[in-house]
Amino acid sequence: MKLAAYYWERIKRQRPAMFGLGFIIFLIILATLGTYFTKSPTKVNFDEKNLPPPGYTVEHSMYSAQNESFITTLQEGTWEHPLGTDSMGRDMLAQLVSGARVSLLVGLLATGIAIIIGAVIGVTSAYFGGAMDDILMRTTDVMMTFPFLLLLILIMYLFGASLTLIILAIGLTGWTGTARLVRSETLSLRTREFIMASKALGAGDLRIIFRHLLPNTLSSIIVLATLSIPGAILAEAVLSFIGLGDPTVASWGNILNAGQGSLETAWWVAVEPGVMLFLTVLSFNFLGDGLREAFDPKGE
Amino acid sequence: MVFWVRSYIAKRLLHTALISWGVMTTAFILMRIGPNSPADKYLAGLGAGHNVTQVVAAIESRYGVDKPLYDQYFSYITSLLQGDWGWSFGTSMPVMELIKTHWIYSFQLILLSTIFAVVLGIALGIFAAVRKNTAADHAVAFFSFAGISIPNFWLGIMLILIFSVKLGWFKTYYDTSLPMFSLENLHALVLPVFTLGTGMVAGYSRYVRSAMLDNLGKDFVRTARAKGLPESIVIRKHVFRNAMLPVITIIMLDMGSIVFGGAYITEVIFGIPGLGWMSLKAVFADDYAVVLAVTLIGAIITLLFNLLADIAYMYLDPRIRYE
Repeated sequence: MKLAAYYWERIKRQRPAMFGLGFIIFLIILATLGTYFTKSPTKVNFDEKNLPPPGYTVEHSMYSAQNESFITTLQEGTWEHPLGTDSMGRDMLAQLVSGARVSLLVGLLATGIAIIIGAVIGVTSAYFGGAMDDILMRTTDVMMTFPFLLLLILIMYLFGASLTLIILAIGLTGWTGTARLVRSETLSLRTREFIMASKALGAGDLRIIFRHLLPNTLSSIIVLATLSIPGAILAEAVLSFIGLGDPTVASWGNILNAGQGSLETAWWVAVEPGVMLFLTVLSFNFLGDGLREAFDPKGE
Repeated sequence: MVFWVRSYIAKRLLHTALISWGVMTTAFILMRIGPNSPADKYLAGLGAGHNVTQVVAAIESRYGVDKPLYDQYFSYITSLLQGDWGWSFGTSMPVMELIKTHWIYSFQLILLSTIFAVVLGIALGIFAAVRKNTAADHAVAFFSFAGISIPNFWLGIMLILIFSVKLGWFKTYYDTSLPMFSLENLHALVLPVFTLGTGMVAGYSRYVRSAMLDNLGKDFVRTARAKGLPESIVIRKHVFRNAMLPVITIIMLDMGSIVFGGAYITEVIFGIPGLGWMSLKAVFADDYAVVLAVTLIGAIITLLFNLLADIAYMYLDPRIRYE
């Protein structure tokens, strides 16, 4: 615990990392509690379509059959929809909150899966060496070389788009970096005295792996995990943007997809989810970088 | 060339072939265990009054997908080794023809973006390194963090919103009718290049900065300064040249992964008919042969650039020896 307090002191001094942490906490609160305060993200209301955020006005041209001409009306945003509505009249704020939930879920779970698989493969590969190392590392090479986005698109297209599958697909394909990192760290740890000592004391393979090798690579794993979360979030956003995301939930990628189609009538639909995505990715990058600095024994 | 270099390259080429085979096989299995049949797309366009089972059987036997899986696999490999990449039934032409008409669009986008990113990235990196810990350095650092974090497909949409929709300077879509070597074409590629290049600029400027700082602290730099060389020569000849070593490697590794990474989505947003755009269309059309070919090509490009990066490193730094 004293160690945690020490690292906390070191992170606290880095402003970007603290900004990142602050925004991530805000996002978590938004994703868990936000839905109790917002409207339904899927409620369609064509009377209120393409409403701008309050303070902005937009012109809407509509063909009127009565007058046989186009009527231009000025539409002003209302506080009823603080971030406006999309082309189907759905509340943008509610959709963004739902998107935050999706992004965090994908980012954390997919990265979690990837880290666990990567750590197990990396440590097994390095600890046992020989043929095991060869097989596992060639598999890692194949996985690393596979065009990542194409693989995800292929999986989503072939096996149907659902949030569970997205998380699994990103997790099951994203472990290669962790595997390599854990393998190289384990290789250098393996011959150290304390490992030899515990071997001499009769510790089994599993005990050495779980009590000594993995805990010693933990700080690198935490940094890598933090820096991998944006990748997973972006992968989901790209898939949803292409139209291969889960169509039943509002995610930032889905909204962006709709937003690109209505750039000329409703710019805010494309702007808002992107800003959220950008800030989220930036926050995790800031935090990851800060953690790396804090864990680095050379830095002061 | 020294003997060990030749045997090293031979070993790496063998490795490349092995990994490509692994990628191809994985893609092959993935596509065949998927629930879709190439007949689906034909059936969707078929009018009533046909015997469906008969049509499906006819189509499946025509494309050989009714044979056992291992049979299809071996015949695919055999024809691949003979230089036959298969037949695209989505577009009714050989896969190789299809790739030949599309690759140039990816190539021009990636080439221009790389030039843009390398020039600007190196300039910013040097600028930040020689002004370490000043406001200018912090500004560059902030820009590179923002550049790395900004999702490039959103950046593309925002550029379209501002410069095409609001200001009207560019078309919202890439115009394929423009001649390749013309100013109009260059003009049409400004937004795509910016979309793809921004993240790269941000990444390169960080690498260049840290590589420059690594070398600025070295003894030979102190010697160069001590013997009275002007600072510009020290930076240019002693620091910059050494700092370029890791940077060149990074750029080459980047080139390999960009074809089906950043360029892919940029092509989709701007409607540029490159390999990424083409392969996405092929996925949605169940065009197996095209998807397989594109996956394989993507893997080979990545592996060859990895090899090229290592060779370049060896050539530029003779101290490097690979086992």
